[in-house]
Amino acid sequence: MEMSKKYWKGIDELKQTPEFIKHKDQEFPNQQSVEDFLADENLAESSTARRDFLKFLGFSVAAATLAACEAPVTKVVPYAVKPENVTPGMPTWYASTYYDGSSYASIMVKTREGRPIFIKGNKDFGFTKGGTNPQIIASVLGLYDSARLTQPLYKGSKTTWGAVDDGIKEALKNAGKVTLLSNTVISPSIKRAIAEMAAQFNGEGESKFEHIQYDAISYAGMREANLLNFGARIIPSYDFSKAKTIVSVGADFLSTWLLPTEFAVQYGATRNPEGEWMSKHFQFESVLSVTGSNADVRSMIKPSEEAAVLAYMIKAVQGKAATGGSWKAAADKAVAALKKSKKSSLVVAGSNHIGVQQLANELNNILGAYGSTIDLSNTIELHQSEDAKALKLAANVAAGKGPDVLIMMGVNPVYSLPNGAAFAKGLKSIKTSVAISSFEDETASNCTYVCPDHHQLENWTDHQAKAGEYAIGQPTIRPLHNTASALESLLVWNGAANRGGQDSAVAYDYIKATFAAMNPTGDFNYLTHNSCTTLPVVPAVLTFTAAAVKDLPKSADTEVVFYQKAAIGNGQFANNPWLQEMPDPVTKVTWDNYITMNPVEMEGKYATTYDQEHGLNLATVTVNGKSVTLPVYPLPGQAPKTIGIALGYGRGANGENIGKAAFQTKEYGGHAQTEDGKLTPIGANVFGMLSTGATLLYSAAAKVTDANGTYPIAATQIHHTVMGRDSIVRETTLSIFKEREKDAYNEAHKLQKLDKHGKHVEAPVSEFDLWAAHPVEKIGHRWGISIDLSSCIGCGSCLIACQSENNVPVVGKDEVRRGREMHWLRIDRYFASDEEAAVGTKADKETFSYDAAEIPALNPSVVHMPLMCHHCNHAPCETVCPVAATTHSNEGLNQMAYNRCIGTRYCANNCPYKVRRFNWFNYPSYKKFTEVNPAQDDLGRMVLNPDVTVRTRGVMEKCSLCVQRIQATKLVAKKEARVIADGEFATACSDACPTNAIVVGDWNDLKSMIREKSEGVRAYQALEEVGVKPNVWYQVKVRNEDNSLLDHIQVAEQAHH
Amino acid sequence: MQKEAAIREPLILGHKTYHDVTEDVCRPIEDKAPKMWYILFGIALVIGLYGVGSILYLLGTGIGVWGLNKTIGWAWDITNFVWWVGIGHAGTLISAVLLLFRQKWRMAINRSAEAMTIFAVFMAGTFPLIHMGRLWVGYWVMPIPNQFGSLWVNFNSPLLWDVFAISTYLSVSLVFWYIGLIPDFATIRDRAKKPLAKKMYGILSFGWSGRAKHWNRFELVSLVLAGLATPLVFSVHSIVSFDFATSVIPGWHTTIFPPYFVAGAVFSGFAMVQTLLLIMRKAMGLEAYIHTKHVEYMNIVIMVTGSIVGTAYITELFISWYSGVEYESYAFINRATGPYWWAYWSMMTCNVISPQLMWIRRLRRSLLFTFFISIVVNIGMWFERYVIIVTSIHRDYVPAAWSMHFPSHIDIAVYIGTIGLFFVFFLLFARYFPVLALNEVKTILKGSGQSYKESPDYHKHH
Repeated sequence: MEMSKKYWKGIDELKQTPEFIKHKDQEFPNQQSVEDFLADENLAESSTARRDFLKFLGFSVAAATLAACEAPVTKVVPYAVKPENVTPGMPTWYASTYYDGSSYASIMVKTREGRPIFIKGNKDFGFTKGGTNPQIIASVLGLYDSARLTQPLYKGSKTTWGAVDDGIKEALKNAGKVTLLSNTVISPSIKRAIAEMAAQFNGEGESKFEHIQYDAISYAGMREANLLNFGARIIPSYDFSKAKTIVSVGADFLSTWLLPTEFAVQYGATRNPEGEWMSKHFQFESVLSVTGSNADVRSMIKPSEEAAVLAYMIKAVQGKAATGGSWKAAADKAVAALKKSKKSSLVVAGSNHIGVQQLANELNNILGAYGSTIDLSNTIELHQSEDAKALKLAANVAAGKGPDVLIMMGVNPVYSLPNGAAFAKGLKSIKTSVAISSFEDETASNCTYVCPDHHQLENWTDHQAKAGEYAIGQPTIRPLHNTASALESLLVWNGAANRGGQDSAVAYDYIKATFAAMNPTGDFNYLTHNSCTTLPVVPAVLTFTAAAVKDLPKSADTEVVFYQKAAIGNGQFANNPWLQEMPDPVTKVTWDNYITMNPVEMEGKYATTYDQEHGLNLATVTVNGKSVTLPVYPLPGQAPKTIGIALGYGRGANGENIGKAAFQTKEYGGHAQTEDGKLTPIGANVFGMLSTGATLLYSAAAKVTDANGTYPIAATQIHHTVMGRDSIVRETTLSIFKEREKDAYNEAHKLQKLDKHGKHVEAPVSEFDLWAAHPVEKIGHRWGISIDLSSCIGCGSCLIACQSENNVPVVGKDEVRRGREMHWLRIDRYFASDEEAAVGTKADKETFSYDAAEIPALNPSVVHMPLMCHHCNHAPCETVCPVAATTHSNEGLNQMAYNRCIGTRYCANNCPYKVRRFNWFNYPSYKKFTEVNPAQDDLGRMVLNPDVTVRTRGVMEKCSLCVQRIQATKLVAKKEARVIADGEFATACSDACPTNAIVVGDWNDLKSMIREKSEGVRAYQALEEVGVKPNVWYQVKVRNEDNSLLDHIQVAEQAHH
Repeated sequence: MQKEAAIREPLILGHKTYHDVTEDVCRPIEDKAPKMWYILFGIALVIGLYGVGSILYLLGTGIGVWGLNKTIGWAWDITNFVWWVGIGHAGTLISAVLLLFRQKWRMAINRSAEAMTIFAVFMAGTFPLIHMGRLWVGYWVMPIPNQFGSLWVNFNSPLLWDVFAISTYLSVSLVFWYIGLIPDFATIRDRAKKPLAKKMYGILSFGWSGRAKHWNRFELVSLVLAGLATPLVFSVHSIVSFDFATSVIPGWHTTIFPPYFVAGAVFSGFAMVQTLLLIMRKAMGLEAYIHTKHVEYMNIVIMVTGSIVGTAYITELFISWYSGVEYESYAFINRATGPYWWAYWSMMTCNVISPQLMWIRRLRRSLLFTFFISIVVNIGMWFERYVIIVTSIHRDYVPAAWSMHFPSHIDIAVYIGTIGLFFVFFLLFARYFPVLALNEVKTILKGSGQSYKESPDYHKHH
C-alpha cells in the first residue's frame, strides 16, 4: 500500500503563505479566547429578566433530567503506554502445553489485549500433533470462573500467603509423618522439588515423607500388568497410525482412554479410504462409546467377558481350538484380520484389571505388536496412579490414622475415592491438612489450609508426558488473583525459595534450571517458542515374559460399567457450563448422568422415548450395598444384561462452592435447592461404587430396581435414525469403494426434464434452477467446507471450539430440554435401524416401514455428522426475510445482520438443515441464565471474543463460517500484498478437529484442498435435490466392514443406472 | 324494486313494516343493556385482559415464553394468525361478492359479518406483530424512507406481501363497513334523545340527510368498494398461503395452497358467522330477519367450501404419494400416522366429514345442528392450520433436528385472550351499532317480506 502521496489543505499550505504559517497551529482561526470574551465590559450590562431566568431554569432542569436518563457510563481503560507485542485488535498466540491430571496436549493459546480467549491444538510441535479434546478447548473458560479461590484459606477463612507458609513450615518441622498425595506428576520440575523435599525429610534413612500419586481414573492395572510381563511399571506408547487392525476391548481410546489427544489424530490418519490402506477397527464393549461408535465391527460384551474375548483371540490367533460366547462371530472376524496384519495390529484393553491387561499384552506379543505399533521405550508418563498405596492411605485416614501433615495436590479424594465420605471425616482429625486446589471443593473445604494454584494459563509449568518429549506451559496472562504456583508452594515449604508474589519468577527460574540440567544444549527461548523439544530416548530392552493371570473378573447377572463421558470426564470440569451443555457424542444428552440400558431390555418396563415433556423413568442401582437413583436412558448397543453410569457427576454434593454451573437451576432462574437448603448437584456421584481389588475397578455386579417417578432429560436430539433417507448420510463399504464406480455408492441425484424432442430424460440437479444463478465460479473468494464422515469421530471438539470462538451462549438444562440449545455447530448422530442396510440405505424399498425405521437396531452402526450453516448459494432463508437481515455475500457466505433482524423466525423454518438459532431470551442478562451463561458474570465475560458480537434477544443467529477469521486472514494477506494461501484460513471447527475431518478454504482457488475435496468421488452435498446449492460438501462414510446386504444393494443400484 | 318469484321463501318473516324494521334494530341500542350483556362483556373483558397481560409478559421477557424451539419456529402464533384471518373472510365475501351477485339474503347478515371480519382481522394482525422477536423495530417491514443507509425491505419475502395484503384488506373492509353504517347511524341519530348519544351518532353519521343524492352516492361507493374488495377476498388468503407455499418445507411447498386456503377461509368464516348470528338473532329478537332460510344458504356455502377443502386434502395426499419425493410422502404419512395423528384426524373429521352432513335438508335447516357444526368447523379449521404448520416442520428434512411442540400456558393464554378481546369488540358492536343494515333491509321488505309476498296484490303490482 503506497502512502507516499501528500495532500494539502489548500493552496495556502502548498505555498506556505505568511498568513498560513501564522495560523497554522490554531484549529479555529480568528478564535476569541474565553478570557477576551469575559473581559468584554458590555457583558455586565446585560440583564436577565425574571421570565428569562425561569426559562433558563426550566431548560436546565429539563436538560439535567434528560442527561440523567442516559445509559450508565461504561469505562474503557486505554493503554497509556502501548505494551510491546500487543496491538489492540490483533491476537497474540502463545505455544503452550495443557495438562490437567488426565488430558494432555500441546496447545496454542490466543490472547486478545492480554486476555486468553481461545485454545487450539498445536499442529506444528508436540507429539499430540494438534489433537485436543473438548475439555482442553473449554479450559479457557475455567480461567474466568468466579468461584476460583482468590487467596489462600486457613480453616475456611481468607488469610495471607505469609501466614499459610509459616503455618505449614511449622507443621512440617514438627511432623512425624508427611504425606504428599498428588495426581500424576509429569512435571520434571515438580518431581525435582518433591525429591528435594523427600531428601530433606528422609535424611537419615527415615521414611518420614511419602509421595503417593493417585488419579480418579486409574490405569494402575496396565502398569502392574506390564510389571508382571516386562518387569517395568510402565505404559508404552501406542501408535494407532501404524495399526492395520485395531482391536479394542472396552477401551474408549478416541475420547477418554489413556491419551486420546494423540490417539484420535493417529486413528484419523488410518481412516482415509483413498489412502494406501484403511485400518479395520474391532470394538468389544458394554456401553456404546465414542470409539465403539466408530468401529467397523462392534460386539456387545459384558465387562466380565473381556478376559474371555482376549483369551479366545489368543488361542484362535495361534490356531488353537477355543470356545466363544455370543461375541464369537465378531471375535472370529477380528482374529482373521489380526492374522493377516500380524505385527501391524494393535490390541488395547480398557479394563483396569491386571489380568485383563496381561491378556492384552500376551495377544500383542503373539502378534508381534511390540516394537511395531507399541513402543516400550518412549513410555507414556501419564496416569501413574498407585491404587494400592492410595487406597491404603485412604483407609488409614478414614480410620483416623492419617499422617501428621497431608498435602493434597491436584486431587479431590473426598469426591473421587470409593470411601470419600469416611475420608472426609478422617481428614478433620489430621493435624495439618493442605489442599493445593483452585476451588474450595469437596476436599479443600475439609482442609486446614487451602493454597490456590494458578490456572494453567497463568502459570509456568513443564511436562514430560512421554519419555521422549519435554514440554513447557507458559503463562498467557498475569495471575488474576492472589494465587501461587504449586511448584512455588512446594519450594517455599521446603525452604528452597521465597514467595515471589503475583509476578513471581520462582517457578520460572526453577523450570529453567530443570531444563538446563536435562538438556544442557537446549535454548530456553526456542523452547518457549515451540512449547516443546524432544529428549533422547534410551531404547528399552524389555522382553515379554508370561505370567500367571489371576483373579479374573467374575460374571454376574447384571453388570454395571462406570465410564467417562467425553465432556465431563472425571468430573473436575463439572463447573464448566460449556462442557455441561455439550451433548454427549453418543446419547446427545446434556447436563446429566443416567443409567444406560439397551432399549430392547427396557421394553415394557421403562420409557424408551423422550421429548420436551416426557422424561425418562427412574431406577435404583445397587452396587456393593450402595444405591443411586437415576433416570434410565435407552442406549442402543448397550450390551444386554449390562448397564452403564457415567462418573464425574454429583459434584458439590454438600454445596461446596465449586462454581455456579455445577448445580441444578430452576425453571425461572436461580439454583435449585434440596430440602435441607443445599444446592442440588447435577447427576449423581458413583465413584463410591467402585470396587477395590488390587486396583480400582470400573465395573461391578449390580442390581436394578424400579423407582417411582420420571425425570426430565435435556437432549439435543430426540430422533435417532435417519429414516432411510439417502441424501443426508451416505455410507458404503471399503470393498465397494475400492472396486466400484462412484455411481454405486455416491450417485448424484437426478431429476426428470424434457429434452428438445419433448422426451423425458434424466439430468443432474445442477441443471435445474429456479433463480438466475449467482455468479460463483472464478469470482473472488468462495468459501466452502468439506466434512469427511469417514474420519469424523464425533468427539465434540469442534462444537466447543465454535462455542468459544463465536460467543455462543449457554442456555442451561431447562432450555436444552425445550429444544433451544444455541450451538451453531451440532453433531448429528444416527443409529442404523433394522430397516436399513447401513445408515441411510433402505434394506428393502418394498417392505420399508417408517414406524420400524424409527427404532434403532439392537447393536446399530453409528454415523456422526457435523452440521452447521451450509451457506447455500440459493439460500431459502435469504428470500423469506422481510427486512433482508440475512443476505448473501459475494464470497459465498450467508450472512446475518443481527442489527437488522426483527425475529420473524421464517428463515429458521425455511432452513432445510435446521441450523439457525433464535435468541428466545436475552441470554446475556435474563435472570434464568445467570447461573449458566458466562456472559452474565463479570469475570466470565472476559472469555468473550471481542471480534464477535454478543447477540441480543429476538434475533436469529447461526454459523458465520467464522467470518471474523476470514476478514483477519484477508487483511494479513492484503498487507503483505499477496493472495491467501490454501490452509491459511481455518474456522474454529476445522482448527479443533483432531482428525482433520473438517477442511475449509477458498473453493475458487483451483488448487485448494477444498476444491479437490469437493470434486472427489466421495463428495456429495446433503439434501442436494432441494436445490439450495450449499457450500458444504460431505465425504461418503466408508466403513471397513463386511456388509453383504449393503454391497448387494449398491451393486444392484449401479447396474440399474 | 327487485322482482322475486313467489315460491321463493321470504327473507323477512312476519308482518313487518318499515317502522318495525327501524324499531327492531334501534331498540336494543336505545334501551338499557340486558343483564346478560354485562355478564358476557365482563367475562370477555377478563379473558381479554388476561390475554393482554400475557402478551405484555411475552414482550417483556422474550419469545421463549412460548413453547417454540429450534426446529419449530412457528406454532400457535401463526396458527392463530391464519385462523383469525380465515374467519375474517366471510364478512367481505358476504358484503362484496354477494353484493355483486345481487344476493339479497346477505342484507340481514352482512353488517355483523363485516364487524366480525374487522375484529377478526384485528386479532389476526396481533399475531404477526407479537411473534416478532423485536416488535419495537417491527416498523422496518414498511418500505419507508429511512436513515439506516440504503436499507430497504425484501420484496421477495412473502411476509412482506402479508404486510401489504393484510393492511389493505383491513382498510378496505373497514371503509366498506363504515360506508354501510352511515345511513343507519343517521337513523339512530334522528331517534336519539340523549344529547351525548345524539352528538356521537351525529359525528358517526357524517351529516347524512337521506337525500336522493346521498343514496345515489352511497350505492355507487358501495359498488366501487365491492369491486375493490372482491379481489381482496381471494388475494388475502392466497398471500397468507404463500407464506407456506413459497418455502422449501415438505407439506408447505404446495401449489394447491392459494385456492385451498381461500376455500378454507370462507368455510371457517361462514361457520363463525353462524355461531355468532344464531346467538344474536335470539338475544336481540331478530328471528324475523335472520331465519332458517339464511342459515340454510350459509350452510350451503359451508358445504360447498367444505367440499373444496376436503378435495384439497385428498389431492394433497395423493400428490404426496404420486410425486415420489421421499420427504413429501413422509410429510403426509407423518401427518396421518405420526405423533400428531390426532390433530390430523380431528381436522379430517371436522372439515371433511361434518360439512357433508349438510346435504341432508333437515340437518342444514336445523338451527341447533348448525350451531354445533359451526363450532366443529372452527375447531377443525384451527387444527388444519396447526397440522399444516407444526406437523410439517416438526419433522422435515433432517431427522436429527426433528422435534415436538408443546404449547406453554402463555401460548394458550394469548390465544384464549384474543377470543376474549374479539368478543369484547363484538359485544360493544352489538350494543352500540346497528347490527342489521336496517336501511338496506328496508329495500327488500316489499320484495321479499312475508306479508307482502302473501298479500294478493303482490303479483299484480309487478
